[in-house]
Amino acid sequence: MEVGMTRPIRLLIVDDEQRLVETLSKRLTARGLYVEGVHSGPEALAVIQARPFDVALLDVRMPGMDGIAVLREAKKLQPLLQVIMLSGNASINAAVEGMRLGALEYLLKPANLDDVLAKIEEAFKKKRLEEEHLASQRQAGG
Amino acid sequence: MYLHSRVYAKMVAMIKIERSSRGALSPEAGAGRRARWAGTASHGRAATPPPGRRLRRTVLALLLVPPACLLLSALALLTWGPGGSLAFLIPVIAALAVWAALAWPLAARIRRELTALARQRDAFYEELLRLSRAASLGEVASSIAHDLNNPLAIMREEAGWIQDLMRGGDLQGAHTQAEIANALKQIDIQIERSREITQRLLQWGRDSAPQTESVDVNLLLNKTLYLLESELQAAGVRVVKELSPGLAQVRGGAPELRQVFLNLMKNALDAMRGQGGTMTLATRPERGGVRIEIRDTGPGIPAAAIEHIFEPFFTTKAANEGTGLGLPISRWIVEKVGGTLGVESREGAGASFHVTLPAGETLPDTGSGGR
Ligand SMILES: Nc1ncnc2c1ncn2[C@@H]1O[C@H](COP(=O)(O)OP(=O)(O)O)[C@@H](O)[C@H]1O
Ligand SMILES: [Mg+2]
Repeated sequence: MEVGMTRPIRLLIVDDEQRLVETLSKRLTARGLYVEGVHSGPEALAVIQARPFDVALLDVRMPGMDGIAVLREAKKLQPLLQVIMLSGNASINAAVEGMRLGALEYLLKPANLDDVLAKIEEAFKKKRLEEEHLASQRQAGG
Repeated sequence: MYLHSRVYAKMVAMIKIERSSRGALSPEAGAGRRARWAGTASHGRAATPPPGRRLRRTVLALLLVPPACLLLSALALLTWGPGGSLAFLIPVIAALAVWAALAWPLAARIRRELTALARQRDAFYEELLRLSRAASLGEVASSIAHDLNNPLAIMREEAGWIQDLMRGGDLQGAHTQAEIANALKQIDIQIERSREITQRLLQWGRDSAPQTESVDVNLLLNKTLYLLESELQAAGVRVVKELSPGLAQVRGGAPELRQVFLNLMKNALDAMRGQGGTMTLATRPERGGVRIEIRDTGPGIPAAAIEHIFEPFFTTKAANEGTGLGLPISRWIVEKVGGTLGVESREGAGASFHVTLPAGETLPDTGSGGR
């Protein structure tokens, strides 16, 4: 595991709009993030199972498996993964359900990249804190 | 659902009227219900005596008169005994005269009560239809807003990417040039996509204007389907069309019939949400009209629920997802033009709703645009 402040944020983008994933990836990569993009729930879970990520940007409405279902499973695979939901409409139900399942934020499309980036950084900080907390607990315990 | 709470309260008040009038005509209705009726607790029978109860009393009175007359006649016959004069007929004639005198106003009263009931029912459904149409316009608008937000998000990122490249300096490089051209092309693609979406909203507005009396069912089914397309896709529902060509135009207004189809398709969609499935739209000619079937491969309707699904406010959906209005309103709409709406379903085997609509008369009306 890398140490120090220089580790790039590992971001996973999940959205069935392929072009959105593609362009967002380019723009966020240009801003120093490590980005992977997938276009469906099952693909997302496969990737989450395969390698660790810090933050996931998750579309709510996708054909087949929706974002809420992905969130539920993803949290089981990587409990520390920070999830930001990205939705096309302000569905109170989905927002409440997402938050209940541990999503950090619920952003509306079309989101401003600066806002998204700010949330991602915030999420990353939160994850680092949780990791440190876990590590110190483990040390105290052992 | 986008029902305003005031609107909702009004609906709840109306269901009480509806239920009391229905309860009067069929005594068993209203007893022993288990499933949820949206927004209505079972408290509070309507305080005013329903017109239906008065009607029942009147019918009872009218039916009691002939036996009473017979009884009188029999009594008279016994009293005077056989072989007597024809005088025993006097009370019989008197009784019949009384009955005729009573029957006439009573029959008129029954007719009045019946039309009053029918009118009350119509008013009830007209109001429900108006309210639910407002609600479903809200739904359509929200669905369209959602559909529009995806192309908007893409356009924003494409524009942002161009700005990123411009900030990067080297604008002359072949790679940068290609990137910019590609982004601009993508923006154009998304604009076209957005235009198609707004077109749908315009379409909705246009069709809502009151208009023709006869409708091309296949065309209307396709247009209605278009409204739900992205939602169906998102829910993993495959659509199969078995539309018979060359059908007669049917009686009825396009906005109302579209509401019927939309309700049935939305129910099919709701039934298959999550697990996906197939929705089949089928049409075929039937004696003097057209038969439409909307079938799904969802979980079907349990026997205990199926007898209630056409009752206003009966729903098995969450409070903010179902109003229980779709089916009763739909049935009222098709019955008003002389059609029928029915269902076949078994638990675990999907549901099949069928609508029959009589062919519209080809009136030589205004003359313009005659087909
Ligand atoms: N295609 C279907 N499959 C299963 N159940 C259905 C179907 N269509 C209707 N229903 C049942 O009938 C009920 C009433 O439907 P409806 O009158 O349209 O109201 P709502 O859809 O708002 O609940 C639904 O809540 C559901 O339980
Ligand atoms: Mg419905």
